[in-house]
Amino acid sequence: MSIHDMHRGGSMTVVTLALGSQTLAIPTDLLREILDPLPVTRVPGAGALVPGVVNVRGSVVPLADLKQALCIPDEGQDDRSRVLVLDVMLGGEAATVAIAADAVHEVATIDAGAIEAVPASAHVWPPEYLSGLFRGAQGFILLPNLEQIFSNLANRPLAVQL
Amino acid sequence: MTDDMAAIFREEVRDLLESLEKGLLDLKARPADMGLVNQVFRDLHTVKGSGAMFGFTELAAFIHEFETVFDRIRAGALAVTPEILRLALAAKDEIPGLVEGLADPEGRRGQILEGLQAVMGGGAVAEDAAEVAEGAGAAGIGAAGPQRLRFRLSGAALAMGARPELVLDELRGLGAEGIIADLADLPPLDRLDPEACAIGWEMDLPAGVTEAQVEDVFLFVDAEWKLTPAPVAAADAAPAAAGVAEAMTIAAPLAGTATDAVAPGSAPAAVAAAAAPAPAARGDQAGATIRVPAERLDALMDSVGELVIVEARLTELARQSRDPALIATAEQITRLAGGLRDATMTMRMVPLRSLVGRFRRLVMDLSDKLGKPVDFVVLGEETELDKTVIEKLADPLVHILRNAIDHGMETQAERAATEKPREGLIELSARHAGAEVLIRLRDDGRGMDVAKIRAKAVAKGLIPADAVLSEAQTFALIFEPGFSTAESVTELSGRGVGMDVVRRTIDSLRGSIEIESKPGLGTSVTLRLPLTLAIIEGLLIEVAGERYTLPMPTVQEIVELPPEKAQARRAGDFLDIRGRFVPFLRLRSLFDCPGQPGAAQNVVIVQSGETRVGIVVDRIVGTNQTVIKQMSKLHAGVRAVSGATILGDGSVALILDVQHLVGMGRLQGEPGQAPKEVAA
Amino acid sequence: MTKTVLTVDDSPSIRRMIAMTLQEAGYAVIEAVDGQDGLSKALAQKVDAIITDQNMPNLDGLGFIRALRQHPQGKGIPIVVLSTDSEEGLKTQAREAGALGWMVKPFSQDKLLAVMRKVLG
Repeated sequence: MSIHDMHRGGSMTVVTLALGSQTLAIPTDLLREILDPLPVTRVPGAGALVPGVVNVRGSVVPLADLKQALCIPDEGQDDRSRVLVLDVMLGGEAATVAIAADAVHEVATIDAGAIEAVPASAHVWPPEYLSGLFRGAQGFILLPNLEQIFSNLANRPLAVQL
Repeated sequence: MTDDMAAIFREEVRDLLESLEKGLLDLKARPADMGLVNQVFRDLHTVKGSGAMFGFTELAAFIHEFETVFDRIRAGALAVTPEILRLALAAKDEIPGLVEGLADPEGRRGQILEGLQAVMGGGAVAEDAAEVAEGAGAAGIGAAGPQRLRFRLSGAALAMGARPELVLDELRGLGAEGIIADLADLPPLDRLDPEACAIGWEMDLPAGVTEAQVEDVFLFVDAEWKLTPAPVAAADAAPAAAGVAEAMTIAAPLAGTATDAVAPGSAPAAVAAAAAPAPAARGDQAGATIRVPAERLDALMDSVGELVIVEARLTELARQSRDPALIATAEQITRLAGGLRDATMTMRMVPLRSLVGRFRRLVMDLSDKLGKPVDFVVLGEETELDKTVIEKLADPLVHILRNAIDHGMETQAERAATEKPREGLIELSARHAGAEVLIRLRDDGRGMDVAKIRAKAVAKGLIPADAVLSEAQTFALIFEPGFSTAESVTELSGRGVGMDVVRRTIDSLRGSIEIESKPGLGTSVTLRLPLTLAIIEGLLIEVAGERYTLPMPTVQEIVELPPEKAQARRAGDFLDIRGRFVPFLRLRSLFDCPGQPGAAQNVVIVQSGETRVGIVVDRIVGTNQTVIKQMSKLHAGVRAVSGATILGDGSVALILDVQHLVGMGRLQGEPGQAPKEVAA
Repeated sequence: MTKTVLTVDDSPSIRRMIAMTLQEAGYAVIEAVDGQDGLSKALAQKVDAIITDQNMPNLDGLGFIRALRQHPQGKGIPIVVLSTDSEEGLKTQAREAGALGWMVKPFSQDKLLAVMRKVLG
């Protein structure tokens, strides 16, 4: 299920969340659950993109920091922080991953027609990591290309060989 | 005896009979093969021994004769004849009936026994009669007057685990008084041997204590002892009938249990792994194996894994509550979960045998096709592994086997030019080593050519022309994608696909591959695999507040880090463990942990293969049942971690990959060797 | 402190019988299927006592005891050998190899526990 399929579908339901000062939208189809912050176990040598793992109902799930991947500055966490558990495709196989969010705003339905291509001038974000964006009340809302992000993460070279 | 055990016994007898039948049939072809004779003897011996244990006395007595024949063959006193094999096979067919307690209306068993006795020349009948039912020993008669006992442990007794204090306690139980230590043999302190007990003891024993009772005390202690009438009371060794001592041998098998076990049709079904290729079930025997779809076993294992985690959590909560009733219940749950875990894991174990048939066929086909006669020998095919491991192992082994015959084995002409036998040898062996199973495929072919592999790897651009590689690193190149040394690509070995798949598969099983090869002598490929992928016993350790688990079977010992090494800032160092230098790694620096270590650090000595390495940690937390969770692909590059587990408090602890750490320690142990992994 | 007993026997039923009996009495039990397996398990972890069969594939009981006694951590562990019938010669050989004592099969569960108490206190 990719976001591109949604364009033809007319509308899609997303959950919007904050990463730093940026708002993102993730299709609810991919969302398994939203949890309060969990204790994170650091994985030595794994790097800042997927720094650790968390226990989600008895499963050990990797926790990714999308701010790192999307080059969004970190503005600190507060009691609005959440963990989103997602079902994504990873190297052709279904996998469960968790992402950290600084806040979760709302569930919204967006019209396919409202989704715009990422402007070529928007160098702030790595373009291959975005499927599109749309305008919300407080500015642009990004639609991350999770499949691309996670498959790049799975193949990333590690700085430290452990 | 529980039904459960009777079921295990029945299952075992079935397996043994299968092996016995195979052994007897193979003996027909190779009557002089002592390996087969030994195997047959062992199978019989085990059926008899277990049968007697579980109250199948009739069975044990029947097999006794049968076993004696093979014992004689083993000793060289008798040769395998077609008549012996005929009788043996007939006797084997009687065993299921004996296990089920069926009668023998036609008297076949008697005839078989007579036949066996005739084969042995009839002399063996009388002496055997009493053996199986051995039990009541000679009763002793106690002396009438007070007695004096002196004893001294023999030289090696302490090293053998003897505990003199327990012996003295037992003697006190017999009424010993006035115990005095005899220090006459005590050497000067500088010559004291810590393994030898130089102290002797002397004491008074009351009248009526028999030699047999004293012998009973010393049954588990290698000691010289002497019981004499006490010097005060004059020797008056009248054979008094007082105090008939209880015989010190074995109690008869528990009455009542035997009947339970023999009752026909009462056996609950034992469950065996569905993947085991049991030979076509003969008839519909009571207590037969139930075949279960493999995915049900997987689902069961998953549930057991969850249960073990919840159980750890419950135990932790119970501990915190300090409520005795809750703690007791939690302990019960722990025990039950443990039993369930063991039972489930046992169900999943499948012998390597289940793969061997397929390999035999492959070897036969290949050797015909290529005109290379090969003798395929399999050792340890009963070695069991988790079924998931077995399933995934089939393809890699096929690849290695193919490679051995296609590339490793010389042509007949080439072999003829050497001293080697015309027929090549390929040996597949499997054995347990700690928590690992070693599977080795050895050939006596031409061996691997280091120069040729290197040239090929350079030509293929796999390594730079000036790469400095050890022999092992060079051999490992054959597992690189796209590598092939065959001069002509053959239909059989394909185009260099395969060997890289072998390594990927073995990696995914948390295993490793080692290659040894000598030019002209052959190659051996060893796969090192974990016994199970599900649950292991773990040692939980802590570094800078972070917890990690080490697989317990890899842990050799735990020592304190000597203070002079505590603050060294080098990445690693060596410890002197009883005269052997063992490199050690500081997890704190390896894992880039913040802060300074405390005053006392521990070193966990772990072993993988033949190599040991010390791992410096802040603290040992304890042992725990570790349900292994695979790491996500997002962490696949972190080789120092082989998995993760969930602790009682709900937090996640990473499982350290000992083999990888040992590899890092070994690199550190070779000065001048840059820690680079060519075959990573 | 729970005592750990290693039982080495190629017969699963005897192994289970020993394990169940000892576990019920509060011992921890490790099982090994032959001498080789027993050796690696005895060296891999702390064991308080060992019960071993003699007749086993790969490495028999006496071979196992001899090999274990050569290791520093194999010293001082009480080892009880299981013998069948009246293998008289085995008793002497077992002592020479480094066994503390022996027990004759068949034996009862009570007997087994009595022997363990004798050996471990």
